[in-house]
Amino acid sequence: MNAKPIRTALGLVAGLAAASAMADEPRTLTVYTYDSFVAEWGPGPGIKKAFEARCGDCRLEFVALSGGVDLLQRLRLEGEDSAADLVLGLDMNLMADARDLDLLAPHQADLSRLALPIDWDDPVFLPYDWGRFAFVYDSEALPNPPKSFAELLAAPDDLKVIIQDPRTSITGLGLLLWMKRVYGDEAPAAWEKLNDHVLTVTGGWSQAYFSLFMNGEAPMVLSYSTSPAYHMAVEDTKRYQAAEFAEGHYLQVETAAMLKSSEHPALARDFLDFVLTPDFQRHIPLGNVMYPAIDLGEERPAVFDRLIEPESFTFSPEEVQAHRREWIREWLNASAR
Amino acid sequence: MASEAITAGKAPPHDRRRLTHLPLWAGLAALTALVGLGLGSLGALLVQAPGVSPSGLWREPYLAGVLRFSLWQASLSTLASLGLAVPVALALARRPSFVGRRLLLRAMELSLVIPSLIALFGLVAVHGRQGWAAPLWEALTGTPAGYLYGLSGIVLAHVFYNLPLAARLLLQELERAPAAHWRLVAQLGLSRRAIWRTLEWPAIKRLLPRLAALIFTLCFTSFAIVMTLGGGPASTTLEVALYQALKFDNDLALAALLALAQLTICLGLWALALSRGGTPSLVAGDGTMPIKGRWQRRDALGVSQITDSLWLVALALLLLPPLVAVVVAGLGGVTDLAAQASLWPALLRSLVMAAGAGGLALVLGLALLAGRGWLAARGRRLAAGLMEGSGQLILVLPALVLGTGLFLLLRPRLGGGWQGYGLVVLVNAFMALPFVMQVLRGALLGLPLAQRRLADQLDIQGLARFRWLLWPRLRRPVALALAYAMTLSLGDFSVIALFGSPSAPTLPMLLYQQLGSYRWQTAAATALVLLATVAALFMLLAWLTRQLPHYPLSNSHRPGAFWSRGIDRQEP
Repeated sequence: MNAKPIRTALGLVAGLAAASAMADEPRTLTVYTYDSFVAEWGPGPGIKKAFEARCGDCRLEFVALSGGVDLLQRLRLEGEDSAADLVLGLDMNLMADARDLDLLAPHQADLSRLALPIDWDDPVFLPYDWGRFAFVYDSEALPNPPKSFAELLAAPDDLKVIIQDPRTSITGLGLLLWMKRVYGDEAPAAWEKLNDHVLTVTGGWSQAYFSLFMNGEAPMVLSYSTSPAYHMAVEDTKRYQAAEFAEGHYLQVETAAMLKSSEHPALARDFLDFVLTPDFQRHIPLGNVMYPAIDLGEERPAVFDRLIEPESFTFSPEEVQAHRREWIREWLNASAR
Repeated sequence: MASEAITAGKAPPHDRRRLTHLPLWAGLAALTALVGLGLGSLGALLVQAPGVSPSGLWREPYLAGVLRFSLWQASLSTLASLGLAVPVALALARRPSFVGRRLLLRAMELSLVIPSLIALFGLVAVHGRQGWAAPLWEALTGTPAGYLYGLSGIVLAHVFYNLPLAARLLLQELERAPAAHWRLVAQLGLSRRAIWRTLEWPAIKRLLPRLAALIFTLCFTSFAIVMTLGGGPASTTLEVALYQALKFDNDLALAALLALAQLTICLGLWALALSRGGTPSLVAGDGTMPIKGRWQRRDALGVSQITDSLWLVALALLLLPPLVAVVVAGLGGVTDLAAQASLWPALLRSLVMAAGAGGLALVLGLALLAGRGWLAARGRRLAAGLMEGSGQLILVLPALVLGTGLFLLLRPRLGGGWQGYGLVVLVNAFMALPFVMQVLRGALLGLPLAQRRLADQLDIQGLARFRWLLWPRLRRPVALALAYAMTLSLGDFSVIALFGSPSAPTLPMLLYQQLGSYRWQTAAATALVLLATVAALFMLLAWLTRQLPHYPLSNSHRPGAFWSRGIDRQEP
């Protein structure tokens, strides 16, 4: 047997090891985030470039997981040995659980730059974008969408909506909290009425929006009030719009945070400070299809002026943590007949 | 001994005595790796979880409902898939030549490895409320087409996946009957019922238990289909409850418990199936030549011409339109492809990982089968069965549990990049193993005794034995096994999403990135590229091994004919 291929392979491995060792020489910040953030057309690449230009000799490396829940789970599994310096993509509903892990450090960023619809003074979680949950409708199939939850629940049964499962999806959990906030103790009865309109409950937002809604399976889908901005700005169509509900809309705030165990805490804080600058934020509106967390002024795309601007509200992260299981159980009982 | 020669292949003959244990050691090593990692990861979950009480599963009404629904939908799907697959397979066997038969068979083999997201898109486009079939449904029933949602939709999607697979394998089993039998059937002019009794049913009966177990397991553990088409939380499978427990609730104890319940139910079923049926191959192998109408079957005339046509058209209508829908949607986005800088690197990355997973699955599968053969030849039937059965472990152990458990085992720290990719390759290889072993087992274990004795008598050992006895039989199954393993890995998203990746995505990840950021057109094109790659891999590997190997001493026209001539088959 010729040993040459083995030697070649060993050489290759050694080469790779050397290459990665060299790559580690500049200070590297590892950021855990979700997959659409780091897409070629997402906000990730532009943010990486801008930050590396700002810090000079550092590198920003994204590690993409499939969603906020996976970020939390990964932190939990890795604990203090996590390779991450920062985690970007935990939303308000995951904050309390993440805080309890005792792995995150204060951000020390100047919060006066924030432009959120709610007050924010959290010392650990720094908002980088926000949005409202909303039902997006196809104006060709549904010229007169319901103007409130009450109208939706009272609509004829043939008005179908596609929603997501609160057990597996962030938007699904958003709807659960939205309904709870609007209906309180009456939520189970409201769910029973809504269920008459539910075509199906998908596991994730992508299946609902892509496989079903865009195929015309139902005229309404649970999504974000910012979704139409993408259709208007990139696809140049006004066909898909968000229905504005009189009861108000539930808010989602996505946050960044740094880990106590970071090897480069100063650099990680630099990054968090950078989050609330236009160099970071200008990639958010069309890259992530969410509202920027600061006032971008002229730089905010014009289509964002044409979105609905309803009243919005949230539960506190602690309330969500305390009641989530109980409310999901309530939903299951109302929906699983 | 079929398998020993593989490993003994490179050794000089005088080392044979020492080397005869090699298949056992290889099998044991693979077994240890598999069972160790599989049960180890489950164990890791259990260790992390304080206070697991199995009774919780039945005391909790919600979970009891989940369990009932999982069993119910899986049983229905299995019954529907198998019940329809039998007449389809009989029709295919009765019609050995018609236009498009080969294409249909290829499509049937592919159905197993179509990523669920893509299949769902195609099914919705055809069977949805606004689908291609909706006007027909409305015309026939007078009601809007809502059958895709709820239990009927779940069963339809499972039938879409499993009927072609089942019919393909049944057909293979039917075609395996020796040509002499068919000649007799023709000469005696047996009737439809007599053929069924003498030839068809005995062949089908051998395969049914294992096939039912396989399909049941696949449906029982189905996730995306049940979630998307189920209609609501009343349609929840154990797999969904497990996902929720593991990810949202961080309830490791419940997750481990659910995994154990799944393991117990499916393993019990497999044990039952294995003790009943024979041991035919469960994946479409190279098969023998279809009997090309040389023996006129009496039952091929008359009414069956119409019923067979109906069955075959129905099969084509089930299988092809959703695939066509994916292609049509994808073509709309093809112009965007050029602008996608990350597509080709992603494809390359996926192919490299798929090759790694495929190669690993092949090595593990061959080792397990070699060990199994060694044990079986020495009368250790139980041990042999265990060794082979271990390869099926992943069918019943959710990848999510395997992944999370491995993660816990490899703590404190799983580095990014290479280690993450390596782990994905490993889990993908495990996922492909059941299918790889099904393809290989027929070829490895079914070596006719006469050929083996002849080789023994002529003292054909080592490399020559491998080259002349095994390789001609093995090359096509190996290619097919590789095709299955690579395409399963290529379309896999669940595992890579679990471990995360540096910003460089694989092809399925790219697809999800596009979906996650509203790029429908581009996503449809990416889905088309994925589907085309899967099909191309199958065709390329099949073509490579269909080419005749270069045998300097033989002027035969068929691989393997050197051995089989005059023994069990006559050249036409």
